[in-house]
Amino acid sequence: MSNLPILQVINLSKKFGNLVAVNNVSFQVNSGEIVGLIGPNGAGKTTLFNLVTGLEQPDSGKVFFKGTEITHMAPYQICQLGMSRTFQIAQTFSSMTVSEAVRVGAYNRCDEKTVIAKVNEIVNLCNLEAIRDIKCGELSLVQLRRVELARAIATGAEMLLLDEAGAGLTAIELAELMRLLSRLNSEAGLTLCVVEHVMQMVMGLCPHILVLDSGVLIAEGVPDEIRRNSDVIEAYLGVRELE
Amino acid sequence: MLDNLIQNFINGVMLGAIYTLIALGLSIIFGVMNIVNFAHGDFVMVAMYATFWISTGLGWDPVATPLITIPLLFLIGVLAYYLLIHRTLRRNYVTQIAVTVGLMVFLRSITQVLFQARPRTITQSIIQGTLNLGPYTFTMTRLASAIVAVVFIVAIYLFLAKSWAGWAIRAASDDLDSASLLGINPTKTYALSFGLGSALTAVGGALLITFQQVDPTMGMRFGLLSWAILALAGLGSIPGLLISGTIVGVVESLTAAYWDPRARSLTVYLLFILILWIKPKGLFGRK
Amino acid sequence: MLKKISTPKNLLLLGIILFTLVLPLVIGSNQYVLVLTTTVILFGVMATSWNLIGGLGGQLDLAAGAYLGLGAFTTGTLLTRWNITPWVGMPLSGLVAAGVAALIGAPLFRFRVRGVWYALSSSALVQVLYTAFMMWSSVGGPMDQYLPRYDASFYYLRYNTYAPYYYILLMLLYIALYLNYYIRGTRLGFQLMALGESEEAAEVLGVNARNSKLKALMIYAYLVGVTGGVYTCLFGYYHPRFFDSNMSTEVAILGIVGGLGIPYGPLLAAAVLVRGRELLRANLGTVVERSSMAVYAVILVVIALFRPSGLAVLAGDIYRAIRLRFAKDTYVKSADSAGD
Repeated sequence: MSNLPILQVINLSKKFGNLVAVNNVSFQVNSGEIVGLIGPNGAGKTTLFNLVTGLEQPDSGKVFFKGTEITHMAPYQICQLGMSRTFQIAQTFSSMTVSEAVRVGAYNRCDEKTVIAKVNEIVNLCNLEAIRDIKCGELSLVQLRRVELARAIATGAEMLLLDEAGAGLTAIELAELMRLLSRLNSEAGLTLCVVEHVMQMVMGLCPHILVLDSGVLIAEGVPDEIRRNSDVIEAYLGVRELE
Repeated sequence: MLDNLIQNFINGVMLGAIYTLIALGLSIIFGVMNIVNFAHGDFVMVAMYATFWISTGLGWDPVATPLITIPLLFLIGVLAYYLLIHRTLRRNYVTQIAVTVGLMVFLRSITQVLFQARPRTITQSIIQGTLNLGPYTFTMTRLASAIVAVVFIVAIYLFLAKSWAGWAIRAASDDLDSASLLGINPTKTYALSFGLGSALTAVGGALLITFQQVDPTMGMRFGLLSWAILALAGLGSIPGLLISGTIVGVVESLTAAYWDPRARSLTVYLLFILILWIKPKGLFGRK
Repeated sequence: MLKKISTPKNLLLLGIILFTLVLPLVIGSNQYVLVLTTTVILFGVMATSWNLIGGLGGQLDLAAGAYLGLGAFTTGTLLTRWNITPWVGMPLSGLVAAGVAALIGAPLFRFRVRGVWYALSSSALVQVLYTAFMMWSSVGGPMDQYLPRYDASFYYLRYNTYAPYYYILLMLLYIALYLNYYIRGTRLGFQLMALGESEEAAEVLGVNARNSKLKALMIYAYLVGVTGGVYTCLFGYYHPRFFDSNMSTEVAILGIVGGLGIPYGPLLAAAVLVRGRELLRANLGTVVERSSMAVYAVILVVIALFRPSGLAVLAGDIYRAIRLRFAKDTYVKSADSAGD
């Protein structure tokens, strides 16, 4: 786990008509880190993710992944380089079974000979053995989330962006997810960038937190600093200090 | 030589106005509902045949036929919506298209059975003769048709911009869920849009048949022509549509005059494919 | 091992294959049935190939006529101009068709360009080719171009009976069916299915939307192109009317009605609809035949509205219902309903 930057975002901006969704955002993620991205609704977090993963094109700025510029690359190219993501609203492959869905991701790095083995590996890693032959359309929310995660990991990604993976989960399910992510990070060296509203998950998982508000990066630091930062408190609550 | 060019150019512009009207009908349907109505060109054809039949069978002057054809096509549109389209709204896109493709094939074959394959024209109308301005000649039917088309286009533009129903249609096209929260009945709005779009084809068809012939295969041509205009213009701008319609009309006219009459649609189709290659959102597109 | 292979399903399959192979011999001199069957297989090949782009690839292609015509013209021109045997011409025809398909598809399969534009472009392509070839006098223009007449020539692939064409088309059909099954189990198949569910999710998982769709498109175009070569030899001539929008739409309808993506679905649809049309024509005359397209249309709409999964699934349901009805004991009954 080196401490070289795996992702560098430099002066990224994006407008939709008159709305500035992302405003000159710059930050850096080191290899092996878990970074949290928080902010009030409408802050531009998902747009930022879309810009980084190639689903949207920035108006200005650059993005570098592992030293290569990916600013205008297509999503599949970025995935082939080693970055993938999950979605806020689960994009289910409803008519495919869990193992088939994972297999789609696995084909990113595997060929026909090695793909089945990889699928089995990932299915085991993410505890999907029991449901591997069930169609994705029939899964519960927490199962779907795990499948989305598994799909993305199967691509052999070195960095994953998770968009609100904790939303809608019970406390137990959340703890499970956090354990899995922690394990993937420490054992497999997976770099993570996590968008979350569930504060417990962010504060508990991420040693490095970014705060976005109205498209602007207003704070960056460790959880304790962020908790006490008046800009952050104002952004969420409208007051600068809590008595 | 130059006079000839300008004459052909002007003919193209006049034709373009009518094509724009037809494309406008399609734009309302596609822009609002994201429905690909493959039968649109055949609605034009049906309107043309209806006009033909009313004027030759019932003896009405073609000028008066829109009194029947507009409500008729509006009704057909609304019916088509309720019977066919409404149910497919939540299905996958191939199923959605399959229904309008079925409608298209159905209209085409029924027309063929009823009217046979040979082309039909209208010869009698109170609008006759030509107007001469300097070296240029305007066929009255073409000129009158073009003017009527422009009037309708402006009327629709104002309708969409100023009237409540028009506002409902525009709101529904932007975001249906929010629109329904604002009190807009989505089903009725969609049905209205479909009917309106179809009624416009009635006008266009009635105008066209005063100086062109109709046969059962023309539906494809008008359909592709409308889509070409839509692709060129992009969605969301009526003035843009008018400019694109004019371009298409001129291209067709010049091709027929200077290359080969058989190729007149060929260049338009090639232009269509080219635009999709280079600028899929169109020249004036908003979305 | 023999026991494992000889399941009822496999034996049935084998029986069907053997039957199709000996059909012409069994029929003997009854050309009518042979012609009818060959027509079914002709449409079956095109619709089954179409299934690759339409069912698996999720794109509505309306250009079957374009590829058929290109194939016919390529094979025909090579034969009439340079005396090249269709056995060489047909594979080349496939390449020409696939090449043109790539030209149309490449710009349009870009990520997030909506599928409707491909459908419309493909429709326009047929018209473009029709007009262009009508105007292109050096390959014949509006005149029917006849192939040299022979009663039985292998080199020129001209026979005065349908049987040889039946076999060639049958082979093409088997290839198309096999490809449908095979591709599903490969990377391309999985990628296409994922694209069909969610293009965005597939892309972030490394699927290149454009390349995957292009591959399916080109395989389909190739097969139809080769079929075009057979087509011209079968009818003994070629002409721009082969660039037929109506037929292209029919092929797509067969694919949709048969059941998108189900390998044997389009063939089933072809059998039903072609046979149906023949029956109508034979019993009720040509007026009704012209309205047969209207009947097609109504069937298409009804299926799309009420049973969008298509004829094949419907047939599957009927098959299962029949098996359950005639099951000899409850063991078979329960095994049957649990297995599927």
